[in-house]
Amino acid sequence: MKLTLPPRVSLARFNQALKAFEGVVGKAWVLSTDEDRDAYSDIYAPGSESEWPSSAAIAPANVEEVQAIVRLANEFKTPLWPVSRGKNLGYGANAPRLPGTVVLDLGRMNRILELDTTLGYCVLEPGVGFFDLYEHIQRENAPLWMSVPGNAWGSVIGNALDHGIGYTPYGLHSRNLCGIEAVLPDGDLVRTGMGAMNGNPSWHVFPSSFGPDWTQMFTQSNLGIVTKAGLWLQPAPQASTLLSWDIPKEEDIGWVVDTITPLKISGVIEQNVFIPSWLGKIVLKGQRKDFWDKPGAIPEWRVQELLKEHNLGYWQVQIRLYGEESLNKARADILKRAFKPHIDAPPVETHWKAGEPINQYEMTMGVPSAVALQMGDWVGGRGAHMGFSPIVPAKSSHVLGQLHRSRKIIAEHDVDFYASFTIGGRYATNINMLMYDRDNDHQVNNIRRLFNALIAESAKAGYGEYRTHLGWMDPVAETFDFNHQAQRRLNEKVKDALDPNGILAPGKQGVWPSVYRTRKS
Amino acid sequence: MRRLTYLLSVLSLTGPMLAATADPPPGPPGPPLYQMRERLPAGDRTATTANGQTLFSNRCGACHLLGGMGTNLLTKERMQLGESPAMGMLTNRQDLTELYVKTVVRYGKLAMPRQTRVDVTDSELDAIAKFLGKAGQ
Repeated sequence: MKLTLPPRVSLARFNQALKAFEGVVGKAWVLSTDEDRDAYSDIYAPGSESEWPSSAAIAPANVEEVQAIVRLANEFKTPLWPVSRGKNLGYGANAPRLPGTVVLDLGRMNRILELDTTLGYCVLEPGVGFFDLYEHIQRENAPLWMSVPGNAWGSVIGNALDHGIGYTPYGLHSRNLCGIEAVLPDGDLVRTGMGAMNGNPSWHVFPSSFGPDWTQMFTQSNLGIVTKAGLWLQPAPQASTLLSWDIPKEEDIGWVVDTITPLKISGVIEQNVFIPSWLGKIVLKGQRKDFWDKPGAIPEWRVQELLKEHNLGYWQVQIRLYGEESLNKARADILKRAFKPHIDAPPVETHWKAGEPINQYEMTMGVPSAVALQMGDWVGGRGAHMGFSPIVPAKSSHVLGQLHRSRKIIAEHDVDFYASFTIGGRYATNINMLMYDRDNDHQVNNIRRLFNALIAESAKAGYGEYRTHLGWMDPVAETFDFNHQAQRRLNEKVKDALDPNGILAPGKQGVWPSVYRTRKS
Repeated sequence: MRRLTYLLSVLSLTGPMLAATADPPPGPPGPPLYQMRERLPAGDRTATTANGQTLFSNRCGACHLLGGMGTNLLTKERMQLGESPAMGMLTNRQDLTELYVKTVVRYGKLAMPRQTRVDVTDSELDAIAKFLGKAGQ
């Protein structure tokens, strides 16, 4: 990819900046060839990757190098886009929001600094991937389980900072963060929580501080670069039971949610319960053309045929219980009693005990895998996906309302419907997977129109996304419109106070520093 | 039917590993167990002295060990070409050249994303390409 300079920076000045960065990290870790710029672009871009081009990437090895780079970036006015491992596929991967931004790749900062098996936490640098942490836990024979997202190729800390979710009792990843260290936009270094006191051993166990706790300020934000973080881990259970139901009809999601939610809130169910629609199973069985060979959405009659052929329900509910066998049995009995009035078929039960093998696709047992990315093969070619992900209260009225709304809009755009609801407690995360072949202009343009419509119509009904792709950060931020975008104004005030040069991640989540505010879409 | 054959073939790749467990359950073998990658040796990654097999395992293993996303998709692709499912494992391929491996890693191919030089340094890629690129050696 040809060089796109950062705004307001000349080529000569940019080259001086790169030289200065080389002085910090060494020549080998300033990556500025056309090939490097290709590698630091959105591999799932809905359209041309050149829409969100980076100018270069820098890969520091430690916090001191991060601080030095930030100070130089202020001097040369070169904005930085920090990525932990850059695998945020579907949301922009490792590409920056503002064209010409330099990617700060923290992938070399990949030390596991601490693993406390008694209190169940670890301290990680941002370059530690889910696979790295999992293997470390196995090698240490530590009695701890992780919570992993669908695509576990990325960074543990990066995923938590971007509000990623998993499917265990520790599935709300940003809430597992406890005490972080961050480099501020002026190069200063802070530690949040009890870590604000030198040598305090409670840093990663007490989730608050004396005075305001700033930990969550650094999630989905452009106010600092997180260089290490404490993360709570689940104690490995002695046993686990999985109850699986195939739920036959689309409308059944209403009673399913109303049944699960109170059990989740009361603690009978501990995990985040993932409820995917039927296509979630089919995408891993082959390509779309194997099931429906016409370009438009798979018609309902064919959907019903496929459900019969593959013995699937419209939804699949899998609830995993964790703990001692007697406890799991008691909980399973409660669940079966709760489901019985709605569905005659008993659940398929699978039992596991400590010491028995766990297969590599057991996401609900904290095993990392990238196999979910196989869904890219569904459409063929250079398949990719984006997720439209509104949050709704976990009640049938809200869930069915959003289901009908998004279902109608997706059908109007002649796209296959593939959704999931993940019940996290009082809310459900509704992820609608939108898949496309990157080289098919019709598909890409259609998906973009569809995405715009989903955001607009859901916002009209009062619902907002929890996370989105680079290209839609501004429109989604606009939907948070209480008191004429009061949240945006607050974000901008804080941003300008901490980052007057607009160095860190301009435009992240629709928050623009004053120097680049005209760049907002 | 072809899909069923493919799925059974992917599952059949898991046979040797499951055989290591005491009592394999009846019926078709389940998905493979987690495949531990080799550790990345300490040292300067821009002038690595690690061998290609270790580097392949550590740098590419998230997708290209048994049961990984890349292995699964390649298994399907190779079977459609009439080859054995074992050819889904890159380490079994005899037709890869060093140049081809480097090109796919740096430029990507279908579901295979481009890898940055932080993901895999040039020095590491040299060793990995030499390890995988058995054709023409």
